[in-house]
Amino acid sequence: MTDSHEIESRLRQAAESLLREKKVNLFIGYEKASLPFRTAPLFLTAPKEAGRLVWNPFCTANLAVYLPRLFKAPADAREAKTAPPPPKVGLVVKGCDARSVVALIQERQVPRENLVLVGIACPGIVDRRKAERALGDHAALGAGEDAKGNVRAVVDDGTEVTLHRERIVADACLECRAPTPLLHDVLIGAPVEGKQADAARRRVAEFESKPLDARWARLQETFSACIRCNACRQACPLCAGCKTCLLDQTRPRWIGAGTDISDVATYHLLRAFHLAGRCTECGACARACPMGLDVRLLSRKMSQEVEDLYGYRPGEAADATPVLSAFSLDDSQDFITEP
Amino acid sequence: MTEKKIPIASLDKFLARLAERGTVYAPGKDASGDLALMAMPLGEPVLLDYGNFTLSPKAFFLPQTQTLLCFRDGKAQEPPLPEQAAFLFGVRPCDAAALRALDKVFLDSEPPDPYYAHSRARTTVIALACTQPMPSCFCTSVGGGPGDAAGADVLAMCLEADLLMRAQTPKGEELLASVADLLAEPTPQDAQAAEERIRAAEDQIAPVWTADSAQRLRDAYDSPLWAAASQKCLGCGTCSFLCPTCHCFDITDELRNGTGRRVRTWDCCAYPLFTLHASGHNPRPTPKERWRQRLMHKFRYALENHDRFFCVGCGRCIRSCPASMDLRTVLKEIGG
Repeated sequence: MTDSHEIESRLRQAAESLLREKKVNLFIGYEKASLPFRTAPLFLTAPKEAGRLVWNPFCTANLAVYLPRLFKAPADAREAKTAPPPPKVGLVVKGCDARSVVALIQERQVPRENLVLVGIACPGIVDRRKAERALGDHAALGAGEDAKGNVRAVVDDGTEVTLHRERIVADACLECRAPTPLLHDVLIGAPVEGKQADAARRRVAEFESKPLDARWARLQETFSACIRCNACRQACPLCAGCKTCLLDQTRPRWIGAGTDISDVATYHLLRAFHLAGRCTECGACARACPMGLDVRLLSRKMSQEVEDLYGYRPGEAADATPVLSAFSLDDSQDFITEP
Repeated sequence: MTEKKIPIASLDKFLARLAERGTVYAPGKDASGDLALMAMPLGEPVLLDYGNFTLSPKAFFLPQTQTLLCFRDGKAQEPPLPEQAAFLFGVRPCDAAALRALDKVFLDSEPPDPYYAHSRARTTVIALACTQPMPSCFCTSVGGGPGDAAGADVLAMCLEADLLMRAQTPKGEELLASVADLLAEPTPQDAQAAEERIRAAEDQIAPVWTADSAQRLRDAYDSPLWAAASQKCLGCGTCSFLCPTCHCFDITDELRNGTGRRVRTWDCCAYPLFTLHASGHNPRPTPKERWRQRLMHKFRYALENHDRFFCVGCGRCIRSCPASMDLRTVLKEIGG
């Protein structure tokens, strides 16, 4: 694993030269946030400000979410006349973020030629909820990374606490099969080995092994705690790539706006279905959830289905046809049943 | 103003007495381990040493989903409002103060909101003074404080082995009178100890620039700052759904074959749909206008219209923002 400080300084150099040489006019990365265990997205245009970029275990956001809005097609001919040319964008990507970029390129939401991807071989990022839980009754005042890659936090009584990385790493990272970006223009850090394919499958299998009542109870528990804030949808790069969303339609209104269990369940089920064959399993949805819900429970299962039925994993090849746009006579049809 | 004290060891007895008269909600952990106001009995001791709840208590007064009318066979019927009394124990002073802001909107307007008024009347709020503010707290910069009682019926303050309780309203006076046998007279030293704890908490809260915010925001309406600040906003509703003072709502009719309901649900100014006109025009077309609105509402329009901030400094929007946005930073940039 390459030292975070070294990655950070190489990242700053890369961003500085990309902006200075005008290879990009916008560089999106992470900067220090006002609270511990977090970073904030940073939109850089001036090369001299590259020193604000950071790389640490708290670089959790999937920055690909910001790409579709930068390349939005003009709404009409009048808007097209005055629209500025599409920007050249430099973007920091982890393995999962790069998969999202690939999926957006495949879906023609983002032009590859306008992107400079600065890939970072990612050792797994920290789930701030896990970190905050691990501190028990104490609140962190500051946090950083030690030489071994563990997190050191200063807590409110003035003491320092070491949190072992593997205990507080995000769930998605525990299941990540490609932490080193597959698509990149610059790669920083020595390649990191991926997890076995069965890591995510174990989570699905564990859920599926329960009787129907228990499965429904588990789903109900998740749905009834959901506050419908849309953070999971808004943090998702693939959702950002959708031009319209049925949630934003009011004539007719497909889903009630409230928190009745049928509306919440419909929301999560539809989102999981619409992400089938598209979800790159970055876990941004789950980390964005203010209620700490495992909103990936359903999408994990959908990913597994798509892989088993079609041998397809989203975000691996920019020139591949997205699975739901492709048809082959050899496609499995076992799931089609007589009514 | 009655002031009494109760041994912390007798707190369960106190809450059990309230439970005879209605539903009691007290600080506990929910199914996912988050801090929440949970309906008693909790199954474990009531927490006294905590930061604040993930969700603000506003849902007790403005439910996220509320059926206003039911329709059937061409007739509309109002569903009955819950009659039972509710007691919220352990509301933090910031969240209690937020009720004062909501009162301005829902009670001091003409006509007042009957649903809110009903919830407010049947609910007794027992606030618990803060002794351990979080790094995201800034109540002292928006007219509040860790020992403030505004919006609460009773203010409780933790001492070494006792809770000092101060009635703030007739409802609070009545509550303390109803459990008088559990209460003791506090000594002047108790009051002093409480003051010291509150002052110590106050000292831990970093000030945020809010002075002249209405005037400065008026001047900054066209500032390029809004575009820069809103660039990272994802447009989710986390900040406003967790906010104890955000109160915007939507009303929809859900109808099917002549049967259905009229339902009021939380809404949020971060959503494009919030201002989308039937014509297709949207006066707040991008995150820039939407995010500016949120800040303007809290730190300018509220002052102009209601003579108070519509922010109580609880910091939920800062703690839970998926893009780590911090309104304190933007306020500072405007003020500086």
